[in-house]
Amino acid sequence: MGVELGDIFTKHEIEISDLTGKIIAVDAYNTLYQFLSIIRQRDGNPLMNSKGEVTSHLSGFLYRTTNLIEAGIKLIFVFDGKPPALKARTLEARVKTRNKAMQRWHDAVAAGDEDAFKYAQASSHVKGNMVEDAKALLSYMGLPVIQAPSEGEAQVAHMVLSGDADLAASQDYDSLLFGSPRVVRNLTVTGKRKLPKKNIYIDVKPETLFLEEGLTSNEITKEQLVDIALLIGTDYNPGIKRVGPKTALKLIKEYGNIEAVLAHLGQNIENMFKIRDFFLYPEVISDYSLSWKTPKEKEIIRLLCEKNDFSEVRVRSATDRLIQASDAGQQTLDQWF
Amino acid sequence: MFKAIIESDKLKEMIEAVSSIVDEGKLNLSSDGISIKAVDPANVAMVSLNLNSDAFEEFNASEGELGVDLKRLGDIVDMAQKAEMVELELDEEQHKLIIRMSGLTYKIALLDPASIRKEPKIPQLELPATIVLSGNDLKRAVKAAEKVSDHMCMGVEGETFYLEAESDSDRMRLDIVKDQLVSIIPGDARSLFSLDYLSDMIKAAGKANEVTVELGRDFPTKINFQIANGNGDVSYLLAPRIESD
Repeated sequence: MGVELGDIFTKHEIEISDLTGKIIAVDAYNTLYQFLSIIRQRDGNPLMNSKGEVTSHLSGFLYRTTNLIEAGIKLIFVFDGKPPALKARTLEARVKTRNKAMQRWHDAVAAGDEDAFKYAQASSHVKGNMVEDAKALLSYMGLPVIQAPSEGEAQVAHMVLSGDADLAASQDYDSLLFGSPRVVRNLTVTGKRKLPKKNIYIDVKPETLFLEEGLTSNEITKEQLVDIALLIGTDYNPGIKRVGPKTALKLIKEYGNIEAVLAHLGQNIENMFKIRDFFLYPEVISDYSLSWKTPKEKEIIRLLCEKNDFSEVRVRSATDRLIQASDAGQQTLDQWF
Repeated sequence: MFKAIIESDKLKEMIEAVSSIVDEGKLNLSSDGISIKAVDPANVAMVSLNLNSDAFEEFNASEGELGVDLKRLGDIVDMAQKAEMVELELDEEQHKLIIRMSGLTYKIALLDPASIRKEPKIPQLELPATIVLSGNDLKRAVKAAEKVSDHMCMGVEGETFYLEAESDSDRMRLDIVKDQLVSIIPGDARSLFSLDYLSDMIKAAGKANEVTVELGRDFPTKINFQIANGNGDVSYLLAPRIESD
């Protein structure tokens, strides 16, 4: 998902503690997918309640988010609104990939294949009440939950640009395309992670990327960055065959803009201007309220323990930590620097 | 190079003053003594401490920094009797701190200073009101407030320093008038603070003869006092809470 722009931006590895006191707008949908993908049992099955409904995302939103709040990070969760019509084809393709992975997972499990976990991860999908439950849980946790009119990445970028948040959090590079000056990756997946296909665990640390740094070091403009993305392929267009990040960068620098590059290649991109405008002038809202409230322990317990069979002892200990850490009225010293 | 001998009580005072804010600290060494600046993980409280070389019986240090697990060091120094001499020495090769006291020797691992939270810049705040009172009186106020709430309001009315705490059902107010204070510079001041932090700070401050509290309106407070018989000083900075529902 998203555009692969890793070659254009420098990743700066940081510690969670470097983010203390920062306000971070999180692409919630992206995070939800991350949780569904990585929070699993050994056999590849996600966490489930007694009715067989997936609860991996709720576990992630409670425990991982609590760790971040305890580290003194103020989180805002931004959910996707209606996907733009431009995205229809990508969404169809994703469903196909997922269904294929689901079939392979079942086959692999039946055959005792150790790739089962991988296919299980690829089959992650959002369904039923997952989004609604996640939104409810996050607001019970006292966090601001914002509904984007369109793409969450765009809304998150807008919030960083307007100064309401310090950083955007997402695994995708798209919030950079939407103009976010600062992005943090791996925020909610920090920790030990198993490498695919290997019995090796790596320590995943958060990393920050800066829009201006990427533009300056490659001597390109924000418009050119979007053009590069269009050539590689975005969530809204498949991209030009055999053009990866390096080639796209070279072509854009040589020809100046995407129109000239396409003329040179004798190619065209469907809806090109619409997609470019979508990145440069995305649909966002400015009238949202940001307030961090005292967590509601009773509601959290009802949702997680009564409806989803979480261990009450563990949930209570997390909510205690959360209440302790989220101290809504407490100011921080950085406001006086 | 670092080798020093100090009376256990002074060392305990130093550790207590900092470890009430952070678990790990960076000790900055120079020929003048030791200084520590640290901010708690939530960015709510800061401590800045200086312990002059005069506080030590012997003090030899070259410029450098030591990353120390303060809780551990405190635990070990607790083994020392009152007024006993404690010797500290840096084992540069093994990167360990040697602690000696009447026949007992500990060697504790030091932390990589780069792994400790960065030292904060201390903001320069002009606070309108300054109150000087005995550490014991401030400690009593904190204890009194803890009986009714998690936070306490400190303010100035005329030449009276007042402290208030309130819960849904109960209320506490303590007035300390000018005569009971060492001194007061009146000013527009009323701010609310978390008692969690204040009670940690009062552990060290409560023992001081004089504690200086600087206050403003919905502003951080500065709490200063001396340690090691005047051969060291501690300055805390604590962010306020917003007074609301």
